[in-house]
Amino acid sequence: MTAGTAGTAGDRVDVLVIGAGAAGAAVAWRLASAGIRVVCLEQGDWVEPGAYPHWRDDWELHRHTDWSAEPNVRRLAQDYPVNDAASPISPLMFNAVGGSTIHWSAHFPRFRPSDFRVKSLDGVADDWPVDYGTLEPYFDLNDRMMGVSGMTGDPAYPPKSTRQTPPIPLDTLGVTMARGFDRLGWHWWPSDSAILTRDYDGRRACVNCGPCDLGCPIGAKASTDVTYWPKAIAAGARLMTGARVREITLGPDGLADGALYYDRQGREQRQKASAVVLAANGIGTPRLLLNSRSGRFPDGLANRSGQVGRYLMFHPYAIVRGVFDRPLGGYRGPIGCSIISQEFYETDLSRGFVRGYSFQVARGLTPIASAMGGSIGDRVAWGREHRHAYDERFDRTINVAIIGEDLPEAHNRVDLDPTLADSNGIPAPRVTYTLSENSRRMLDHGIARAREALAAAGACGVAVNPLLRAGGWHLMGTARMGRDPATSVIDAEGRCHDVPNLYVVDGSTMVTCAGVNPTSTIQAVALYIADGMIRRRA
Amino acid sequence: MSAGPLAARRDLLTLVLDTLVPAGDGFPAGSIALDHVLAMAGASADVASTLERALQAIHDAADAFAQLGADDRERALARVEQTNAALFDALVRHTYDGYYSHPVVLSRLGLEPGPVQPRGHRIEAAELPDLGRVVARGPIYRPA
Repeated sequence: MTAGTAGTAGDRVDVLVIGAGAAGAAVAWRLASAGIRVVCLEQGDWVEPGAYPHWRDDWELHRHTDWSAEPNVRRLAQDYPVNDAASPISPLMFNAVGGSTIHWSAHFPRFRPSDFRVKSLDGVADDWPVDYGTLEPYFDLNDRMMGVSGMTGDPAYPPKSTRQTPPIPLDTLGVTMARGFDRLGWHWWPSDSAILTRDYDGRRACVNCGPCDLGCPIGAKASTDVTYWPKAIAAGARLMTGARVREITLGPDGLADGALYYDRQGREQRQKASAVVLAANGIGTPRLLLNSRSGRFPDGLANRSGQVGRYLMFHPYAIVRGVFDRPLGGYRGPIGCSIISQEFYETDLSRGFVRGYSFQVARGLTPIASAMGGSIGDRVAWGREHRHAYDERFDRTINVAIIGEDLPEAHNRVDLDPTLADSNGIPAPRVTYTLSENSRRMLDHGIARAREALAAAGACGVAVNPLLRAGGWHLMGTARMGRDPATSVIDAEGRCHDVPNLYVVDGSTMVTCAGVNPTSTIQAVALYIADGMIRRRA
Repeated sequence: MSAGPLAARRDLLTLVLDTLVPAGDGFPAGSIALDHVLAMAGASADVASTLERALQAIHDAADAFAQLGADDRERALARVEQTNAALFDALVRHTYDGYYSHPVVLSRLGLEPGPVQPRGHRIEAAELPDLGRVVARGPIYRPA
């Protein structure tokens, strides 16, 4: 399926964007709005509103089958397998127009100023070659495009522009947890969420149905198929779905000149372009670069430094679940968004680790998830204990997620699996990842503090998952930005050091990953890179 | 695809499901999930095989399962859980899936059964807790 007007398939265009998710959509819109001819190739399809499971009686059953966030579980035609046997965290992603914003929870914090200056402030990892001040107008622009609910005035950040709609209702659950933080004198704030609480920009307000992780069939949650793409297509961008890119091609001048891809029928096609933008996520992008080998780049495109695929960062998550003696209404409202605490965000070496983490307070468990233990995995007992055990849990829990800043380490990486391939025979990615000692200490600190917070909120019991396996939502760092071509893949403008008309704009660009969800920052960086492309073209 | 041998053991499966989730406190017994479990087996040869082997393990552990009292049925299932953990886990998972998506059970939990769209959930408007204390601390971010 195609949408848009920028030439016909195969015509040479100004810019080829690979991937129609959070970053690819933002770049396509920005470039097309500046009059640049853009084609985007996306291996997935549009998700029709009626296709979401929310309209069915058995909606919750789809969470662990065809709507799972894990491609290795979902195994749809548009998915590719990921060998994650050597990682304690499974990568999550969705392949469709909108990419992983289809199934994200839309928790939308920004990175803080200090997150871009980690080396200077704390002596670890590296500084970014861009800073918060440079990105601030792009954060604001992106907020307007996505639509953010929340409140200004959070002392954890420099002043922000007015949020597009008021915060998501805290409900009994959020108020209960806020009071716990208050009793301890800790920071908390209603989450910035890319979910509308009022109609905005032609989109409807959220009706608090709950399972944002299965997508949003009414467009209240900001997936880029309902935010950026309609505007990008109206501006002239062309989006081709069912188009799986095999490799990026080079011209005789050593510059990228397009890509080879398989169409829906499995036929090889070529798209020519004057510049190529990679937006295929922190695993898909290094996979594609490593699959694009040539005499000029025998170890993968733009990989003279050997850095492509290295420095993979996840946000390691620990989960602490509090059990309360009263109903909390946790099955209603956006599943991942309530309140956030950044009490332990900035470095304090007396805690035994460098950098920090956030507490993301999520909603409670839905009926089946309550029985199966949700993120903790402690299934309710069967037999005569079952009724009592279940009733003690259902609608009486609060999940506090500890989202820690993972530091970049060269041995954590994505490379190509020697045998695994997708349905087109393209070699699949292999993930090798070890949780660092710093991250472990950070999560353990967070677990202990979350216990305190839940107790202060009135919890009568807690359960802990010290490291969430199915928690690889954030895929970052594998084609990182930097000034030194020996230690980074792209420069401060998003251009590959080795191939200056090849850009990377997704989570791969991230030098460090902060202690918050990254999508707001990924998109701000993508818009900043797009504006650099427009400036250089002018 | 049919549920095959599993359907042929419908009586045993019913008793097993009722042992996994006994009726009580106004909730139905686990066999209310029977149609779901059979449907899952009918839709996937892998699931059918797993559940058939689980049922066979239960039969092997207690060939007169139907004649046992409630305590002995639980003990028999506990033995199977020990010796065939993966098979038993799958059986429990499909049972819970069917049970906690059944409209009778959801109603008993106080929920409105059926799709969550378009109805959504009503959340009563409530005043936001006072953030004055949080703000009064001043900025907690490091300038950079």
